Amino acid sequence: MASLFLRRLGFSVFSLLVVSLLLFMLTRSIPESPARIVLGDEATKTQIADFDRQHGLDRPIVVQYAVWLERLVLKGDLGRSFTTGLYMNEQIADTFPVTMELVIVAFVLASIVSVFLGTLSAFYRDSLVDYFARLLAVLGVSIPGFWLALVLILAFAVERDWFPPGGFVPLSAGLGPHLLSIALPCFCLSVFYLAVITRMTRASLLEVLNQDYMRTARASGLGRGRILMYAMRNALLPVVTIAGVSFGHMFGWALIIEQIFNIGGMSRALLTAINQRDYYMVQTVVMVFTIVFVLANLAADMINGWLNPRLAAAAA
Amino acid sequence: MNRLRRLVHFFGGPAGFAGGCIAGLLLLSSIFAPLVAPYDPLAVNILDKLLEPDETHWMGTDQSGRDVLSRVIWGSRASLAVAGFAVVIGVTFGVAIGLFATWVRGGWLEQAIMRVLEAVSSIPLLIWAIALVGIFGVRDVQWGPLTISSELKLMVLLGLLYIPTLARLTYISALAEVASNYVAARRLQGVGELRILFSDVLPNCLSPVIVQATLMLAIGIIVEAAVSFVGLGVQPPTPSWGNMLSNGRNYLISGEWWLSVFPGAAISLTVVAFNLLGDGLRDRFDPRHSTTMGYAT
Repeated sequence: MASLFLRRLGFSVFSLLVVSLLLFMLTRSIPESPARIVLGDEATKTQIADFDRQHGLDRPIVVQYAVWLERLVLKGDLGRSFTTGLYMNEQIADTFPVTMELVIVAFVLASIVSVFLGTLSAFYRDSLVDYFARLLAVLGVSIPGFWLALVLILAFAVERDWFPPGGFVPLSAGLGPHLLSIALPCFCLSVFYLAVITRMTRASLLEVLNQDYMRTARASGLGRGRILMYAMRNALLPVVTIAGVSFGHMFGWALIIEQIFNIGGMSRALLTAINQRDYYMVQTVVMVFTIVFVLANLAADMINGWLNPRLAAAAA
Repeated sequence: MNRLRRLVHFFGGPAGFAGGCIAGLLLLSSIFAPLVAPYDPLAVNILDKLLEPDETHWMGTDQSGRDVLSRVIWGSRASLAVAGFAVVIGVTFGVAIGLFATWVRGGWLEQAIMRVLEAVSSIPLLIWAIALVGIFGVRDVQWGPLTISSELKLMVLLGLLYIPTLARLTYISALAEVASNYVAARRLQGVGELRILFSDVLPNCLSPVIVQATLMLAIGIIVEAAVSFVGLGVQPPTPSWGNMLSNGRNYLISGEWWLSVFPGAAISLTVVAFNLLGDGLRDRFDPRHSTTMGYAT
């Protein structure tokens, strides 16, 4: 287990290094220099050279990357935006928890409902529940969340006033209003992944139930609950992997959903940064998302190693 | 009748066939948009603004009196073009890199390529697409004699983001082919390694790539719509499903539902079509997978 963990951790760190270097090179390769954006078109050559020297932009890209990485890893300091002068740690601290909450609620909702539905659907194959789950799986992956959001706002916030049409009510303003304000966004965010995980649970469980050892278990008179328990342990492996990837992807969709519901999370930080041509903030936001994505995959691998000790043994 | 049955079988069953038909119709209507669309998608007519759907304007009109149906039909061009060319870029480079890694197998170069590809696969697609289009700007960029529009940027970026998955897929199937007996036989015949790769291995590992490419078309359509929705993709007045939805959003509270419902329905229909087609083709051409999916469908 420890060996599997170290191996996956090593690979995650390597991934982050490669991806951050790529991102760093891309943001540095934009045609406009930050000095031009800040100082304007009238700036003289010496002014620009001064600006670049002050911010270390005159050094080679590899050196800039090393400095950035050293600060991030040793001090957890994301640095200051060249364009707005704001500390990026503060900006992330303001917006990240909001997005994180949306994603976690949506993820928990999607995981619980889908594993339950997928299990029922596989156990009672070709029953009404099964047809319902399969229909939901096809619809869910095909309806884009942002369109669903618009339709739901129309139906439940405009035609009836069950939910607010947008905005984020913080928890400090009361639990009820807070939950109402995140209900629709979380639902829209979860539908796609609910469909994907339901489908994966059903397919995987059906495959396991058809294995010889499952037939043996049934033949030796084990109860339904027991059989389900054994089957789930094996069937959950691909489900956990998919769920890990889904968690990371949900952050991407959260950007769009936040936009529609006018919620001030990371999407506002990212889009404001893009509009202000604050490329270093863009780079930071993307890096934060990528770290979450890689960590979610790592967590999925760990859960799988725990569910199936053979995986851990193979890595040793 | 027999011919029809064979056609349905080719698409991996009725669902795949239906997906193929819808996808084909959408493609045709976008190619022949000037003939199919009842009105000019850009023609402004303030007198007819915000009309509800009726027999003259099947999907109503928008705030400038432009016909929504015509804009939906023309909008399919942007969506399908971005998704299609991105897939072409991804497949071309992905297959080339996958084959190259197979060619240099057994050395440090193969290891290096595969590790980097795996690392880059940990990029969340949508966030990178939004951020990169944002970084490179939505305005047209003049690059020598070429004008690079925001659509072109999106296509290329999306294509680049597709490469790692497709390269790994090609590499995995090519590696299995290279170890097979018929390739050993070809080698004994004195055929060169590169020739074997292109004339024997490549055709045999294309089916999973085609299946994956079809599913990526569906992803591309959603990503294009999402990026245009936040205002970074296709720029108005050129219609795209994403920017129509984004515009329609402003009229939702006041009750002009048709501005957002129809473009969204078009996105869903297209995505359903490509998903059904991809699933069907997978059952048909990727038999190893179809055995496991057999329980599922």
